[in-house]
Amino acid sequence: MNKTRKIEITVELIRIIAAVAIAYAIALLTLVVFSDEPVYIIQQFILGPFSSMRRLGSVINLAIPFTFTGLCFCFMYAVNKFNLAGEGTFMVSGCLTALVAIKIGDTLPPAVMIPLLICVGALVGVILNAIPALLDIKFNANIVVVSLMLNSMLVFFAIWILKYKMRDPSIGSLGSYLLPENALLPSILGKMRIQAGLIVAVIAVILVAILFYKTIFGYKMRVVGNNPLFAKACGINMVGTIVAAQLIGGALAGIGGSCEILGNYDRYKWVASTQHGFDGLMVAVLARRNPALVPVAAFLLAYIRIGADVVNSKGDIPVEFITVIQGIVILLVAAEEFMGKFKKNMIYKAAEESLAEDKKEEVKEILEESDGKEK
Amino acid sequence: MGMQKTREIPRFLCFQCQASERSCRWQLLQVKIGGMTMAVEVLRMEGITKIYGNGFVANKNVTFWLNKGEILALVGENGAGKTTLMKVLFGLENPQSGQVYMDGEPVKILNPLDAISKGIGMVHQHFMLLPSLTVAENVVLGIEPMKNGLFDFKKAVEMTREVAEKYKFDIDPLMKVSELSVGQMQKVEIMKVLIKGAKIIIMDEPTAVLTPQETEELFEQLILLRENGHSIIFISHKLEEVKRICTRVTVLRHGYCLGSYDLKDMNEADISRLMVGRDVILKIEKEAPHVGKTIISIKNLVKVNESGKTVLDDISLNIHEGEVVGIAGVEGNGQSDLSDVLSGMGGFTSGTVELNGSSIAGKTVHEIRQMGLAYIPEDRMEYGCAGDMSIRDNIIADRYFKKEYRSGFFVNRKYIDKIVDQYIKDFEIACDDKNQPVRMLSGGNIQKVVVAREFTSGSNFILANQPTRGIDVGAAEMIRKTIVKKSREEGTATLLISADLNEVLECSDRLLVMRKGKIVAAFPKANEVSESELGEYMLGLKAMTAEQMGGLL
Amino acid sequence: MFTIEWFANFGFSVLRLSTPLIFAGLAAVISKKAGMMNMALEGMMLAAALGGVVFAGMTGNVWVGLAGAIVLSVLVSLIIAFANLTGQTDLYLTCIAVNLATSGGTVFVMYLLTGEKSTTSAAIKAYTLPSVVIPLIKDIPLIGKIVSGHNILTYVSFISIFLVWLFLYRTRLGLRLRAVGENPKAASSVGISVTKIGYISFFMSGILCGFGGAFMSMGWVSFFMKNMVNGRGYIGLSASNIANGNPIGSAIASVFFGFCDATATTLKSQGSFPSEFLEMIPYASTIIALVVISCLRMMKLKKIQEGKESAAK
Repeated sequence: MNKTRKIEITVELIRIIAAVAIAYAIALLTLVVFSDEPVYIIQQFILGPFSSMRRLGSVINLAIPFTFTGLCFCFMYAVNKFNLAGEGTFMVSGCLTALVAIKIGDTLPPAVMIPLLICVGALVGVILNAIPALLDIKFNANIVVVSLMLNSMLVFFAIWILKYKMRDPSIGSLGSYLLPENALLPSILGKMRIQAGLIVAVIAVILVAILFYKTIFGYKMRVVGNNPLFAKACGINMVGTIVAAQLIGGALAGIGGSCEILGNYDRYKWVASTQHGFDGLMVAVLARRNPALVPVAAFLLAYIRIGADVVNSKGDIPVEFITVIQGIVILLVAAEEFMGKFKKNMIYKAAEESLAEDKKEEVKEILEESDGKEK
Repeated sequence: MGMQKTREIPRFLCFQCQASERSCRWQLLQVKIGGMTMAVEVLRMEGITKIYGNGFVANKNVTFWLNKGEILALVGENGAGKTTLMKVLFGLENPQSGQVYMDGEPVKILNPLDAISKGIGMVHQHFMLLPSLTVAENVVLGIEPMKNGLFDFKKAVEMTREVAEKYKFDIDPLMKVSELSVGQMQKVEIMKVLIKGAKIIIMDEPTAVLTPQETEELFEQLILLRENGHSIIFISHKLEEVKRICTRVTVLRHGYCLGSYDLKDMNEADISRLMVGRDVILKIEKEAPHVGKTIISIKNLVKVNESGKTVLDDISLNIHEGEVVGIAGVEGNGQSDLSDVLSGMGGFTSGTVELNGSSIAGKTVHEIRQMGLAYIPEDRMEYGCAGDMSIRDNIIADRYFKKEYRSGFFVNRKYIDKIVDQYIKDFEIACDDKNQPVRMLSGGNIQKVVVAREFTSGSNFILANQPTRGIDVGAAEMIRKTIVKKSREEGTATLLISADLNEVLECSDRLLVMRKGKIVAAFPKANEVSESELGEYMLGLKAMTAEQMGGLL
Repeated sequence: MFTIEWFANFGFSVLRLSTPLIFAGLAAVISKKAGMMNMALEGMMLAAALGGVVFAGMTGNVWVGLAGAIVLSVLVSLIIAFANLTGQTDLYLTCIAVNLATSGGTVFVMYLLTGEKSTTSAAIKAYTLPSVVIPLIKDIPLIGKIVSGHNILTYVSFISIFLVWLFLYRTRLGLRLRAVGENPKAASSVGISVTKIGYISFFMSGILCGFGGAFMSMGWVSFFMKNMVNGRGYIGLSASNIANGNPIGSAIASVFFGFCDATATTLKSQGSFPSEFLEMIPYASTIIALVVISCLRMMKLKKIQEGKESAAK
């Protein structure tokens, strides 16, 4: 049986790689077909992100919000609730973080200001994600629909706050006042210009991974997600665990929004949803709900995205084709998940069959004996 | 024209010398059946053996036949193989060996549609109806009449009315199925079968859900069908009914067919003796129990379920320290509901239930477990384990929050590893590694994981519901021995609910029988109860009064 | 301010805004009756919207555009059907993936064909499906102004309500579809293929969404814009949920949501409230409606439960 377990793990790994490889191949194919300079474009797509320190920095910078939203969805996924409010949470959290930063102004030292703002982000995330979670539990309102409607509402809310509460009339486009110096996350690692949110992200990944696998709560969450009826029969509080998991996920999306604003911008400028929430969903699917794999998947996705950006700036393909690729990957991996279960069942069956063979021998003997006695 | 047919019975039972059943266990004896008139066989199943994928042998070389215009009873306990046999007949399963004959010709039945086209119809125990549609729509589903490309509802109603009138069903085709009573729903199921031209009708435990009134109506119906030339296989374990409307009976037990008999030569007690009995005696050495204080106290427990049916009807029962109380009974008579109430998985309507002196009313499963409950659920895959999680994660599922198993917010891995390794050894769980997912183990080992968790929880009350169902003999034996051991050495109080007579007769100290939500019999010493007597209580032939059961509850 | 003229305009607006919601709602109803929750209405309508504009532009014929819209929407729906019924993927995840893919994919295709990234208004000639003026009715005061003069698809949407009802409750296929949705075991026990019915239900959903999407880009406005469906697919789904799968109820809910939308638009043009909060109204009303209906249902169930318990006693 140890053998079958090893086969299983290897096969699953191969599957994920295959899914991404197929999608990547389709991306390449698309480029080849639609570009006027296929070879050059492909070169840009594959190598572009690594072509300069700045580019590599932007890959890592993009992987940061992906990591946060990816972690957020790991929680939703873990308790089998498709709460997609991470999208709106991310945006509103960034918005409110900016608002609080501007209101508080320059009075506090950065060492206090920044953690405070991150907490604001987390709080926003918790409150916003509670809405679909509770409406689902109490009123059985479809959590996907509620969370998506909420997202739309939150986008408008964030724009309203920008327009009426912190708009800087002196600049031409829509933007807030300058964020106070003490609030900004410094950039680290020199030329790569990566924002310090990376540190927060890394800490978050470590903490979440520990939470998932080493804490009591993580254990409860995994049991509830795995077999809710069993959790009930063992006395584990299903409802509490499910809601708590969603709230923690929300907090992470909120922190992601804060870090994104404080690390990359000098003022708050978002006028539309950043789509980072859905990217997080894909990261979580790729990482197979395992928080430890989230940074890897996030980096992968960021790499593909920046590649598309490079292609867009150097050539003639818009970035949107990546979303098609993303959709395909999710489908393939989701299919894998089911084929994987199927494969597992087959292995299980095979094991049972060998057991049954022994039983069959026994039964044959019994039947033969009784036949013999009849004669 | 008399015909003498002898039939050999497999080695497990002696029909002849009832007086010394236990001594005459391994001999082969012959049984005579009274004169049989020549009848036209409309169906014969010969030598059917069906082994399921997991190695379970459901039918062992079963042979029986159905004559034209008769109602044949197919009886046997749960697990005897009746359902599987009918699934084979209806094309839902393929047998490993055996042959089916219809009107003397060998046939192969590939699937249910094939069975229907050959004139076999099945009225399922769990209705296959669409509640929001009308009777007419349900009856014609699959053969809907059309007019001008649209569904001809009028014609459907006409067709349904025709069948209803021909067979005297008093049902309005225009009513919605959701508005019908259970008895009427069953009639719709029968009409579905008849409208497709079934000549052989299989009725799977039809009276399980009917009131006495509805049962009477059903019987009139079946007799009418019989007089119209239909042949019916009537699956049941209600012997009074079998005796009433059936002419012959085929008895199955543990996958074997114990023969087909004319009912006019048998009484209910005879059938009961055939149906209920053990094949292997499992003797567990045990001393008399030291009965201590009351651990579980149930008074006038009543439970009405969502459909309005009273599933627990005024149950009163005490279980004491150091004893194993067994509940025998055909499944579906309230045992599962009692288990749900005691474990906290379901509520109850009225009465008091106390565990270790405190009431469990309104308490969560967690709280009841803290009060002293250990619970082995009926369905181990649904309620007993998380299949994709490791053995170790499954074992600590009821105690992860306790002091030793944690350090603050964290799971205390070292301690858990140590304990789990110990359990794997103590309970002889066959596995590669404690991190292996539980669904990769065999059924017996999965149950051992469940048991390892429950038996080491430090509780003084064990609720065991079908603890050894579907597992290998070795694991079953270990679990039963442990239940008895714990009651003697640690003074645990155990409630053992089981459809396996072996288990319930050998492991229990006191033995109760449940039927239709009530306790109908109580015996002070389980291993002194005769199986035939037990069978009579289980099947409703006898029932004890409150005085008889006096201090035994 | 609240003149007859105003009411007439408002009523007209309501019917106009309800049109895509009615189509989406009916599409959701068919899926729901077949036992599946179709969440990819958004993506299907978006694909249809683009398809309509592109095909119309290519052939110069607005009706070919309509056909193209329907074809694309059906294509998307069949992809989902295949992934879920044959490939056994999780339906929710598949729908989310498809919505994602279409939101980007439509922009990509638009770019490829027109070089534009946000709207086709510059590149492709504007084709609009014709409006219909109903003689006689148009002269009735108030009602005439509300009912006559709509885009042909608006009338098609109302006719569709009847057609879907007819299909579900008067045809054999509709009966079988409802049977599969209510109790697949019962249906397959009489020989109905659950998979085939599944495909058929997605196919029909696709057609309805095709109309809905075509209306967006060839009736409402005359071009395709990035993300123009803007949540209407989900609102339609909610309408169907609220009505518990009943086509007439779903249409009523859709019109209610259209009403909310019209209110928001009117208030916006008033300028008295900040527009952002007004934009939220359609979405907020969906959430509120879901919660309210759920509450009502729970109260009803409780009453039945209590009734049964007292009857048993």
